[in-house]
Amino acid sequence: MQTRRWYLVAVAALSILAARGLYADFRAGDYTQGGPGTIRQVLRNAGTTDSTYDAGQYPIYYPDLAAGDGKDDVENNCELCHSPRYITMQPVMSGQAWSDEVNKMIKTFGAPIPDDAAQKIIQYLGSHYTPETRKR
Amino acid sequence: MEDFQQGLTRRRWLKTVGAASAALAAGQILGEPKAAGQEISGQQPAPEFTGPGANPYWTSVGQLATYPQKAPLILLTDRPVQLETPRHYFLSTVTPNDAFYVRWHLPMIPNAVDLKEWRLHVEGNVERPLTLSFPELTTRFKTVSIAAVNQCSGNSRSRLQPRVPGGQWGNGAMGNAAWTGIKLREILDAAGVKSGSVQVQFEGLDRGLGPKGLGSNRFMKSLDLTNPVIDLCVVAFAMNDEPLPMLNGFPARLVVPGYFATYWMKSLSSIRVLDTPDDNFWMKAAYRIPDTPRGNTTPEDMKSGKVATVPIASMPVRSFLISPDGSTKIPAGFPLRLRGIAFSGYGGVKKVEVSSDNGANWTEAQLGTDAGMYSFRIWYLNWTPKAAGRYQVAVRATDTKGNVQPDDGVWNAGGYLWNKIERQEIVVGDAS
Repeated sequence: MQTRRWYLVAVAALSILAARGLYADFRAGDYTQGGPGTIRQVLRNAGTTDSTYDAGQYPIYYPDLAAGDGKDDVENNCELCHSPRYITMQPVMSGQAWSDEVNKMIKTFGAPIPDDAAQKIIQYLGSHYTPETRKR
Repeated sequence: MEDFQQGLTRRRWLKTVGAASAALAAGQILGEPKAAGQEISGQQPAPEFTGPGANPYWTSVGQLATYPQKAPLILLTDRPVQLETPRHYFLSTVTPNDAFYVRWHLPMIPNAVDLKEWRLHVEGNVERPLTLSFPELTTRFKTVSIAAVNQCSGNSRSRLQPRVPGGQWGNGAMGNAAWTGIKLREILDAAGVKSGSVQVQFEGLDRGLGPKGLGSNRFMKSLDLTNPVIDLCVVAFAMNDEPLPMLNGFPARLVVPGYFATYWMKSLSSIRVLDTPDDNFWMKAAYRIPDTPRGNTTPEDMKSGKVATVPIASMPVRSFLISPDGSTKIPAGFPLRLRGIAFSGYGGVKKVEVSSDNGANWTEAQLGTDAGMYSFRIWYLNWTPKAAGRYQVAVRATDTKGNVQPDDGVWNAGGYLWNKIERQEIVVGDAS
């Protein structure tokens, strides 16, 4: 009984030391909660034997757009031609650079964005996606 | 106690202790244990955006995502689709089809093609317009094969200072494949180019939702008929001996060896001979570089409007260290083999040199098999770091025309032509 108690004390003491790497020439068995996540495998399927070669639908991975005034205007206008990942993928840019981008979409690419919506979009991008303001 | 020590080997003892300490930690007897070296844990997510400085990572930041016929690739955008190839795929000269990067311009990109209906139109200023079915394309002409690098004009755009808008690629908007198909010249000859023709224009199945006549409606690219690259061009229906993935341009795409990928029209549907120069947006306004040495300029000069531009063309020489990639600490005295790839759009790599001291001294690397002048070329160099430290390993290539990679970046508004010498920090630790 006496031996048994010493055994437990020794294991506990050595555990504390080992957990701090004092006695080990290596660390092992150290796991943690998954961080960036996992990616599911997708089924690979060539489809039918007729003359149609169909790759299927392309997935949209909707980004986490910053909340704020003008977000609706982005969603209602910009997304006609491209997903908002075209915003979140860009480098952080000055308000002026974002304004130039929005104006390029309208003038060069013919995006049918009303003036008031365009101003709100410029304001939104300049409020959330500049070097000073971007959080995520 | 004595029985305990004798009964367990050291390894099993540590395992037991590890499990016991985990149990203790879970029971919060010890509180939250802070494991040594947690800052290098594989569970730390990479950032999803970088600040105004140059992107310091080899590829773009952002998540991996799955797409049809594709391995998980780095997601830049989802509509239209832009995906970047992770670094390790470049340990081979052949980039697998399912790992090959993806870049589309317009949202209406093909999901499916019915080959019963699909035709390649050869039209415009020709004697005999052709409408080629897929079997006609693959059997009527002589088939050729060429290994060639396809690199996005904006590859490495995220390195530029100041940053410019556009796809924020790291180095992975490139790939090398064996392209099999028909020489463009043979198809043009079959149609008979009329005299007075100046350019040949290419268009694919992708369409935009913008107004007619604008770049947001159609994507078209043209090459001068007098350009010698015309004779190198291939209308490829096979990529690495397989059909092209839909996202890489099924059923056929143009291959323009040595040229940036903007000309490599995907899902090719029209080859159009023009008797006047193409003035569509994608030629007149986009994919243009300053008509200066290396296409280099400044934001101030661009704004002043005095910088003349020309359409982008050949790819400058580049080289990359692929392995080791900096994620593994190397013991001092370890015999490493540095490995990577090099290429030049100007026709082949002559020499690759490696520096382990940030560019002060250079050693010539060995080159792998020559798969053709427009292919990736493997290079490798054995290197044994003697002492612990942080080594800045740099690699630079010289092409057969004598062009050497510079140690300066480039800046232009499009974010094109980046080919600065690459560096990778290799961390070497004490071995005893």
